[in-house]
Formats: sequence, C-alpha cells, structure tokens
Amino acid sequence: MQTLLIALMLPALAIPVVYGVGKKSAKIAALFLALISLVSLSLLLTLIPTVLNEGQYIESYYWIPTLGSAFTLFVDGISLSLAIVTLILVAAATVYSINYMEEKSSLPEYYALMSLLTIGLVGVFITSNLLLFYFCWELMLVPTYFIIGGWGYRESYNTAFKFFIFTHAGAIFVLLGIGAIYMLTGTLDIFEAQAILATVDPSILNWVLISFTAGFAVKMAIVPLHMWLPDAHGEAPAPMSALLSGVIIGAGGYAVLRIALGTVYSAMMPTGNEFLLVLSFFGVLSAFYGSFLALAETDIKRIIAYSSISHMGYVLFALSLFPVAEGITGGVLHLVNHAASKGLLFLTAGAVMHQTGVRDIREMGGLASKMPLTAIASAIAAFSIGGIPPFACFISEFHIFVGAVTAAGADGSYYLPTVLMLIATVFSLAYVLRYFWKVFLEAPKLKTEVKPIKTEDKDKQKTKNNDPPIFMVISMLALAAFVVILGIYPGLFIDLIHAVTSMG
Amino acid sequence: MNIVDVLLPTIVFTVCSLLTVPLLRLVRKTKLDPQHFMVAWITFTFSAAAFSVFRLAKEYFGQSQSVLQISSTDTILAPLSTVFLVDTVSVYMVIAYMVVGSISCLYGVLHTNPNEYLSERYYALLLIVTGTVIAATFSGDLLTLFIFWEATAAGSCFLVVYRKSRESLEAALKYLVMVIIASGFIIYGLSLVYGLTGSLNFWTVKEVLLTTGNTHLLLVAFAFIIAGYAIETAIVPFHMWLPDAYTAAPASASAFLSALVDQGSYYILLRVLLFILTPPAIVDWRLTIAIFSALTMIVGNLFALAQQNVKRMISYVCIADIGYNLIAITSLTSIGLQGNLFFFFVAAMETSLAFMVIGVFNKMGLENFEDLSGMGRKMPLTSFAFVCAALSFSGVPLFAGFIAKYMVFTSVLQSGVAWLALVGVSNSVLQTAYFLRVIHYLYAKAPKDDVDIKEPKKLLVPIYLLVIINIILGIFPALALDLLSTASTALIL
Repeated sequence: MQTLLIALMLPALAIPVVYGVGKKSAKIAALFLALISLVSLSLLLTLIPTVLNEGQYIESYYWIPTLGSAFTLFVDGISLSLAIVTLILVAAATVYSINYMEEKSSLPEYYALMSLLTIGLVGVFITSNLLLFYFCWELMLVPTYFIIGGWGYRESYNTAFKFFIFTHAGAIFVLLGIGAIYMLTGTLDIFEAQAILATVDPSILNWVLISFTAGFAVKMAIVPLHMWLPDAHGEAPAPMSALLSGVIIGAGGYAVLRIALGTVYSAMMPTGNEFLLVLSFFGVLSAFYGSFLALAETDIKRIIAYSSISHMGYVLFALSLFPVAEGITGGVLHLVNHAASKGLLFLTAGAVMHQTGVRDIREMGGLASKMPLTAIASAIAAFSIGGIPPFACFISEFHIFVGAVTAAGADGSYYLPTVLMLIATVFSLAYVLRYFWKVFLEAPKLKTEVKPIKTEDKDKQKTKNNDPPIFMVISMLALAAFVVILGIYPGLFIDLIHAVTSMG
Repeated sequence: MNIVDVLLPTIVFTVCSLLTVPLLRLVRKTKLDPQHFMVAWITFTFSAAAFSVFRLAKEYFGQSQSVLQISSTDTILAPLSTVFLVDTVSVYMVIAYMVVGSISCLYGVLHTNPNEYLSERYYALLLIVTGTVIAATFSGDLLTLFIFWEATAAGSCFLVVYRKSRESLEAALKYLVMVIIASGFIIYGLSLVYGLTGSLNFWTVKEVLLTTGNTHLLLVAFAFIIAGYAIETAIVPFHMWLPDAYTAAPASASAFLSALVDQGSYYILLRVLLFILTPPAIVDWRLTIAIFSALTMIVGNLFALAQQNVKRMISYVCIADIGYNLIAITSLTSIGLQGNLFFFFVAAMETSLAFMVIGVFNKMGLENFEDLSGMGRKMPLTSFAFVCAALSFSGVPLFAGFIAKYMVFTSVLQSGVAWLALVGVSNSVLQTAYFLRVIHYLYAKAPKDDVDIKEPKKLLVPIYLLVIINIILGIFPALALDLLSTASTALIL
C-alpha cells in the first residue's frame, strides 16, 4: 500500500480542483480541501497500529539516484503524531477560513495556496530523505509568503518579505548542512547517513551541527533569531497564524530533534555536551523573553505571537536534554499540544477581531457574555497554554521537568536552567491570565462595538449572542474538543512518542 | 559517423536561415498570415534539426567509446585539420540549446511582427546563430571553435541592433568592440599555441602540455585565450558590455542570447579550462577562478539590487549566474560538473523565461519597477510566470533552479572551499531579496491607473512551455541528471 504517498499527494491533486471549484464557490472549495485533509488524516491514522508494533513504517520510490536520493517516506511515533496534529489543524483552519475570509477577494488562489502549503507541512514530518525534506521545508515558506502578503493585515507584503528573507536565509544554512552530509556520507537518507557519520571526525560534525541548528532555530524563532515572528504572526490572517504558530515553527523544533540532534549529534556523542547546555540556555532565554514581551504587549495577536516564542523556548530546553527519554518525550508532546492549543488560541483571537474589528486588548472587555462559545474555546486554549492542569500543555511541561530533573541528576550543570525554566512558567501563566481577563472578563469599554450577526431573524439579535458565523464556531469547538482530549487522555500520543524516544 | 553527420544540425539551420528571407518576402505578397507561416517555418526547422541531433545521439550512444573524434582529414593529427568531438557533454548541451532555442525562437516570431520591414533578417539571424552555437559546441580543435564562436558573436551583435535606437546602436557597438578585442586576444594565443605545438587539436595540445617540461610560454598563450573567452562570457571585470547589450536588445533577442550565446560561452570556457588545462596536472587555476567567481557573483548581485529597470536587473542576474557556474568549475568534482551542466540548462531556461516575461511587460510600456505596480492583478498569468522565474533564480524547491544551486554548493563543499560556499550562499539570499522586491511591486502596490490591460495570450504559450519544463525538471531532475552521470567521467581525463 502506498498509504503515505497518497496521503502526501492528495493535497497536490486537489489543487486544480480547489482552484476550479473556488471560481464558482469558495465555500465548496474550502469544504473539499478540509475533506481532503481529513482523508489524508485517516490514511495516517491507519498506520498507528503498524507504528506501535514495529516502531516505524517506510515507503521508498525512485527519484534522483545521482544525488543519493530516493523518494523515501517514513513515519515513526514522533513524526506520525506531529503529522496527525498538522492535518487536524489544517482542516480546522480551512473550515474556519470559510467565514473568516468570505469578504476577501481572490479566494480560489487562497485555497490553492493552502493545499500547496499542506503538502509542505505534512511532508516535512514524514520523510527521511534530506533533499525531500528540504523540498517540503521550502514548500512551507513560499505559499505562506503569498498568503501573508496577499491576505494579511496592514503592511502585509513588508511583513511577508521579512518572513521570507529570515527563514530563507535560515533554510540556506540547512542546505549547507545537507550538502555537507552528502559530502561526508554520499547519501541523503538520515538513517544511513547517521551510521556513516559515526565514523567521521567530530570536529567537522561540529560545524554541520551548528549550521543545521542555526538554520532550524530561525524557523523555530529562538531568541535572537526571532525578529520575523511577531510581525508575521501578527499580520497574517488568523487561519494562517494558527498554522504558522502551530505547525511551521513546530517543524523547526522537530527538525532540530530529528536532524541536528538525532542524525548529526547522536553520531558524535559523547563529545559536545557543552553544545546542549548552550541550547538549553537559549531555550531559557527565549522562554523569558517571550513571556515578558507577551506581558507588555497590547495587540491581541502579538501577545499570542510572543507566547509562541516563549513556548519554543520550552521545546528547545526539552530537546537540549537529549537523549533523556522523558525530556524528549515531553518536548515532542509539547510540540503536539502547543500546536493544537496555540492554533486554537489564534483562531479565537481571529474570531474576536472578526466580530469587534479591534485588535488592542485595552479596548476590549466583557466579551465573555457577548461571545460565549468563543470565550469557552479561548479559555480552553489559554489555560492549556498557561500550563494549568488538566489541560494539554500541563502534561507535556510536566514531562519536560521530569526529564530535566533526571538530566540534572546526571549532570549538575542542568540545575540552573531547570530552575530558571520553572520560574518562566509562572510568567507564562501570568500573561495568559492577563490576556483572558482583558479580552473576555473585564468590564466592557465604551469603544467596543460587537458586530451584530447578519440575520433577518429579529429574535436572534435580541439574544445578543454575537458569536462568529457558524463555520468559525464549528472549527473552534472541534479543535477545543481535541485540546481537551489531549489534556485528559494523552496516552495515545505519549505511547507513540515514547516508543521512539525510549529506544534512544 | 562522418563530419556531415556532426554538422548536419548546423547545415539545416544555415539552409533554413538563408531560405527565410526570400520565403517570408514571398509569403507577404500572398494571402497567408506571415506570423503563421513563420511559426510553421521555425517548427519545421527545429524539427528537422532535432531529427538530425537525434540521429547523432542515437549513433553516439549506440557505440562504446566515450569520446568520438571526427576529423575532416584521414589522420586526426594533420595540422589545422578540422576536428569535431562528440561526447555526452556536447550532446547534452546541444539538446539543451535545442529545447530552449526552439522556445525562444518561437517567442521571437510571436513578439516581433513579421510584417515589419526587415524582420525576416532577424529571424534568419536567430536560426543561423543557433546553428553556429551548435557547431561551436561540437568543435574539437581550437580553431574550429574560434571560427564558429566568432560567427555566433557577430550574429549576436546584429540581433542586439535590430531596433536601431540610439541605445541599441551604442550597445551593439560596445559589444562589437569587446568581441573584436576578445578575438584579438584569442587569435594571438592561438598563434602562439600553434607555433609551439604544431597543432590546435584539443588532445594534441593537451599531450604537449603534459609531456613538455617547460610550458611557461604555452601557459601565457592560454592566458590570452582564457582572457578572450572571459570577455565574451562577461566575467567581472569584463562584464560591462552585457547589461547594455541585453537591455537595448529586443526582449526576444535578450531571451535568445541569454539562453544560447551566454550558456554557450560558459560551456566553451569550461571545455578549455577542464579539457585542456586540466588541473592540477597542468596548471592549478582553481584559486584564481574561485576569486573571479566570488567577484562575479558579488558584483552581479549588487548591481542587480541597485537597478530600477527590470530588464537591466535581469541582465545583471545573468552576470551573477556566471559566478555560480564558475563555482562549480573550481570544485573539480563529479557532482560539480553535473551541477554545472545542469545549471547551464536551468540558467538558460530561467533567464530566457525572465526576459520573455519582461518582453510582455515592455510591450505594454512597462519598464521600471514603478510601472509594474499592481500588475499581479491586471496581468495574472504573466506575473505568475515571473514569480516562477524569480523563485527558480532564488533557488526555491519545486523549481529546477534549486537542484542546480544545490549541486553547485554541495560540490564546492566537497572540494573543501568553504569560504566560496559561504559567499555563494549569502549571494543567494541577496538574490532572493531583490526578486522579492519585484514580486512586492507586482502584488502589493496598487496599480497606477485603471486602464484595462489585456494579456497577449499568444506570447504566453512559449512562456508557459518554459515554466512547465522548469517545474518538471525541478521535481524530476533525474531526467537530465541520469544522462549526465556519464558525462563527468568523459570530462575529467
């Protein structure tokens, strides 16, 4: 069965259909795209038993033999769980777009770009070939550029330009690393390469490792390479912000784990511990920086954007515990949970902006009674991001700290970053509570006027339910349900991820 | 295989080119649409030539030798005998010329009006230059190479001057002077080489270079030859003529020249540098070329960044591309050579695609960035083609430009010259930046007036042919690379 190939290529085959149908009705095109991503998702779900039993699942096709590349698709527990959450988020964002984007122009192009983006987002996680990985890596970038530029807020093309240049420069460093791996091993498959790299002089591998990590850290928006993120996330249309913050920067974290640490670093162990310690300090720095700026910011979307920087700091810190199994499990689980929760948070923020037309949280307040469903979804997302039990992110943060303490027990220099990281969680909680209070609970300001819902039915208007239109609500509530499930029943993903990390 | 087989494509082009002038004049007097006739005529010419190339390739791949030497005389080593060589590299290059050449000639016919006075000469020149480039690619001795290359350069000058405006006359004159200086250098070097070795045949000269103890004078002679070809390739600091020439020429001529003549001149440089002056056995020119390559990239990209006129910007991108090509030459690895040859094809497609799109814009009177404001909505198909060209130049995957750049950078890492890889990489980012600026104008700015612009549908046919080939090669580069994997063994002797 070519399960993975079909799952990856379905969005590509959907592009002409989406574009063609979109000319007639953007709504049907969006529903079709959401359906396609759900089909891909169910294809991936069928692989869960195989992955749980055998550890991984591989498909390989003829591609570019002269460059040592086969078209290798591969999933193990880590990549499968990230691909699953990606497709769920894509489906939610697409359905959400139906109402959110309906007043914008050139929607066929928008949905065609979305399906192109889906290939990149999924492909990054399900390949073990570095060249194919890079294809998907850049495929995440190009459609995003046009979506931010074409449908974003304010000076959207300038923001998109900044985003493109930053991440493309990062990608070029990744490319140098890939070239170096090909030069050293003659293959581009990460597993074959890792075996050969073990025999290579570690002093060369140091440079490869740094090149990879720097390149991925740009995408991950680790301080000081984060400058593109607040603008890009802030100005993008809400569904795009959700994907950016949920999946794209998470892909950076995944790549650090899979390629920089899993392939290069594991080949040069046990030298280079200092490198991991440096990573952990960058993680702590990002966590603090993101939280402080989120506390100071007043723009609804930029708060969430800064929170993403902070959470990528958590992930980087978790990854720096490599190869402590609990730490890595926590890091990957945090990628999954953060993707779902942050995606949801961006969607609810978009709903607030859509209904009120305001983006400064000082002008908001009291929206909980006017938009109850949005408020519920937002509360679930915000409490998860804040790390409050029993919501999703609490579980993963707990894993991370268990891992950190284990690592600190083995190597005393980890105590300092672990303690600092614990302090950072307090600030994370603080900005989340401030955000939720200001937007939904505080006494309403005079300036804020909520758009009445467009309906002829007078009775409905009287109820003063100003929740956004139906498709936005559906996608938010579905995603909220997923976040809740992640929180109270994290077992499946933990099993999937732990099966990989415990093997080392 | 005899000499006629090798020259058959060139003969086809020459004959058809000579017939173009009387035939088109005849057609104008009849009721036939001259444009339809010219499209048919170009198609006929290229199919006939493609058939002869196909025969040649079939014969070459049907036998076991990796390099075929075909001479006009019975003994190859007879002094001044005309020698041709057929190997994987030259066959590949000719195929690449045929693909891009046919599309850009088709564009030339659609872009310039065949009813125009003297346009028949323009088409005849397009065809004959294609023929001479192919012959130069097959040549196996320095004199044959020189003759066919000068014929190409002369033809190119007249393509540049077609519009007869002030700028084009000046640019063509500049080009002509540079070509004459270059040929002076080359012919001086050739006479020295002939005097010292008694032959101009690639293999004989190389043999003498390898066996003679004191090769200083010969190397001086080659320094002249390389300098001559470097001028025609427009390596910085000999690049001044190129932006003027390509900006002043009609867009279809720029597309054609950048695809065939430009790539052909790199190819010749590569032949001479690798085939005759093979490092490190004969002379180690790697560092020198590496420095020139870095210089060419930096100057090309910085000047491109500073331009306001889109066509001029693309001309500077052509120069920057030479830099990337030179990187690969210096690496001397198999992947570098494959990357280089792949890059020739890709750069030919990219640059001619970009010039073709600009030709469409120019037809609407749009020349500077400001004029392009908001054209993304008014001319969606044309703008999309430009975006494809820009992304391919920037080395973004799905487009063939990525594979080419990837191979070039990997090869230079493999040869251990990390600084050159870094220069190349940072240039690549710079290139992305200024291409994004154009995309920014196309999509982000509001159009200046509300005049409705109709896209010329006919011109989009050749443009989208190139876009499709580019994307296919970007996703399945193995189509070209499988052919090239034997080529690298043929080049490193």
